[in-house]
Amino acid sequence: MRALRGARPVLLALAVAAAPGCARERPPAPEGVLVVSQEQQASWVRNFNPLTTATAARWPTLAGVYEPLFVFNSVRTEYVPWLGTAWEWRKGDRVLRVTTRDGVRWSDGEPFGARDVAFTFDLLRRFRALDRRGVWGFLSEVRVVDPRTVDFVFERIFIPGFDEIAAQQIVPEHAWKGVADPVTYANETPVATGPFTEVRLFRNQVFELGRNPHYWQDGRPLFDGLRFPAYPSNDRANLALVFDEVDWAGNFVPAIERVYVSRDPDHHRYWFPLTGSSIFLYANTTLPPLDDTKVRKALSMAIDRELLVDVALYRYSRPSDATALSDGYAAWRDSTIAAEGDWVRFDPAAAARLLDEAGLEPDADGVRRMPDGTPLAWEVLCVSGWSDWVRASQVIARNLGAVGIGATVRTLDFSAWFQRVQEGNFALSLGWSFEGPTPYLFYRWLMSSATVKPLGEVATGNWHRYGSPAADSVLTAFERAADPAAQRRLADDMQRVFVREAPAIPLYPNPSWAEYNTRRFTGFPSAADPYADPSPNKIDRGECLLVLTRIAPR
Amino acid sequence: MRYLLQRLGFYLLAAWAALTLNFFLPRLMPGDPATALFARFRGRLAPEAMDALRETFGLTEAPLIQQYFTYLSHVLRGDLGVSVAYFPAPVSEVIATGLVWTVFLAGTAVVISFAIGTLLGVVSAWRRRGWLDSWLPSTLVFLGAFPYFWLAMVALYVLGFALGWFPLGHAYGDDLTPGFTFEFMADVFRHAALPVGTVVIATLGGWLLSMRNSMIAVLGSDFVNLARAKGLPPSRVVLRYAARNALLPSVTGFGMALGFVLGGSLLTEIVFSYPGQGYLLVQAVRNQDYALMQGIFLVITLAVLGANWLVDLVYMWLDPRTRGARS
Repeated sequence: MRALRGARPVLLALAVAAAPGCARERPPAPEGVLVVSQEQQASWVRNFNPLTTATAARWPTLAGVYEPLFVFNSVRTEYVPWLGTAWEWRKGDRVLRVTTRDGVRWSDGEPFGARDVAFTFDLLRRFRALDRRGVWGFLSEVRVVDPRTVDFVFERIFIPGFDEIAAQQIVPEHAWKGVADPVTYANETPVATGPFTEVRLFRNQVFELGRNPHYWQDGRPLFDGLRFPAYPSNDRANLALVFDEVDWAGNFVPAIERVYVSRDPDHHRYWFPLTGSSIFLYANTTLPPLDDTKVRKALSMAIDRELLVDVALYRYSRPSDATALSDGYAAWRDSTIAAEGDWVRFDPAAAARLLDEAGLEPDADGVRRMPDGTPLAWEVLCVSGWSDWVRASQVIARNLGAVGIGATVRTLDFSAWFQRVQEGNFALSLGWSFEGPTPYLFYRWLMSSATVKPLGEVATGNWHRYGSPAADSVLTAFERAADPAAQRRLADDMQRVFVREAPAIPLYPNPSWAEYNTRRFTGFPSAADPYADPSPNKIDRGECLLVLTRIAPR
Repeated sequence: MRYLLQRLGFYLLAAWAALTLNFFLPRLMPGDPATALFARFRGRLAPEAMDALRETFGLTEAPLIQQYFTYLSHVLRGDLGVSVAYFPAPVSEVIATGLVWTVFLAGTAVVISFAIGTLLGVVSAWRRRGWLDSWLPSTLVFLGAFPYFWLAMVALYVLGFALGWFPLGHAYGDDLTPGFTFEFMADVFRHAALPVGTVVIATLGGWLLSMRNSMIAVLGSDFVNLARAKGLPPSRVVLRYAARNALLPSVTGFGMALGFVLGGSLLTEIVFSYPGQGYLLVQAVRNQDYALMQGIFLVITLAVLGANWLVDLVYMWLDPRTRGARS
């Protein structure tokens, strides 16, 4: 999504206009080398450290060079055994026992084992800066049981902790134990377990990774290497895509059918599954009358989401339902519960009725006023340059105006916007939500009292400051439920609470961006073969690995 | 000599003022690097990561004034700190990835543009109202008035896409190994042709006009008339008498332009995907990467001051009055 920032379609429009007239040759990409564009940089800085800050390392470091214990498939909503083959809760769900895969070797030929797993987690304990999933907030010890078994001892019962342990990239003990400061270590020559580990070439404008000579999946990967040309902007990356210079990308492309597909319908493909985080209109619930569920529901019913996804997002998405869950939670979403939430339907008349009931009657000019006489007038905050959000806010402001609420769009520079929402210094604002393999994380940051910070204090999530006692008990129960059936039941309860209380106003689920060119390679996920999320941006829980080990040369 | 020393003192003072501004300006922006980084993920990073990020970047709560003196002492030792946007690479290393290409690209463009523009200005002033003088300045000024971004895109589109004469981007072919081989150098020049060409076209008019105008003023002065009356050959009158004196304002401009070369030609580098330094500054601002911003500003400051120093030296050579009056 950040790709939307500064998306200037000018260059692309020119390129499309050029269509048949130009007969450019594709620059010769070596046989069997997949050209990928995921990061936008003017020049590459060599860094393959999978443990620090998530953005510093070059793209496939998190899922391609290094690998996690279990890969999460967000399209099928299931875990795929990877470096770990099985997990089991023991001792009253206080110990998580993970069995590691047999026969895995590091790219230098050394065997991989439970010791490496324990070593990695120990690094996170010793260097708090590396613990970006906060696992040491619930773990007390990580123990090697035997060369293929490792025990994670929890401080308290916390079942969702599995998701964070599963996603952790594992580094080799023998190569990392001598590293004095793993936080600032650039790891220029990685020793790893992933399919592509050999840095064959590294220059400021291009680098190439070759296959791991000891990869544990026999015969895979099916192609020779990865190549990464540096493109500084979204425009330039899209251009490379249109001109067959790139085989796989995760950019935002405006009007993709016309811009990309139409140039070569047989090979230019895309698939944008709606597995991204949902986008919300957050109403500051510390601010009357926005603390009233009825008022939030009325605002929601005033919004024409069909128009909104059309205008803001080229119809790449759909309106959210009342559970707010994206397709990344398809297995969890209960459609009957969603159907009970009629407050996401566009119905200005009903919205007006609800507002009347809440005591916000319009005056002679049609402007709604609070019981004390102050007119309802709010700013809708969004980030300048994030064109999808800006357009969405404009639609919202117009829709709210139609039911008698004075709403104006206020675009702020990113940092200024973020500071205001974090401190709760807003009435209405667009915002993202948090993703996780279960709805737990998502709903926790939408309505758990534990995440509510006082106004003026910086809150990383729950900017609208909504705490629901009903949600608290369900979320706490979920933390302790290891049984899948019980989890399902509790997830249903979370949806019920959300639908009933409308803590925030869901707008649309974000698409996961993925474009690919089948001229030289096949095997990308598609709507016809949805074996995984197709986007190279899905690195946080290892999903790219599913794709990298499946793509085959033509 | 005293003149040079005086100038040196002035430069030291200017450098200190610039360093101070470099330090305080970025810190006036709201937010900090951790939030900027966090935000890039739009929800894909768990809120827990915030604490880890702050820890990683070692964001300190020390009073600003204390941070300022730490910064000054580090700069004096040549330690520019660690970049946040390209963590954990040191700022000096990050700047080095693009500096050579920026110097090459923008430097070549400025030198070519200055040389050709000035020469054309001399000719056009000497042959006043000739055919060259009647259309060249106006055409060049017209071209220079286009927004550079637009000019570059049209050039890229027509010469790059439509005709395919020039590569679409980068400083050299991705399949070539950098080295001092003929093949590589030729490729570098081929890749530089469009970016350098567009910059030259956009800036040529300015050099031409400034040289032409000061030439005309000088050509009317008594000592030029005297030279003509003495019957000196026209080429000697133009070059040794008129041009040398008319060059002074242009040299000042040239010094400024050279200094700004290190700032990178942002638009050029973005349009042509050139691996230079201009884009780094954008990244630094986006990520609130104070250290990288300071580093880049420092490089620009030093370059501008250095270029001015050179201009002072050239002045002493060009204009004997500066030598006579002050030494």
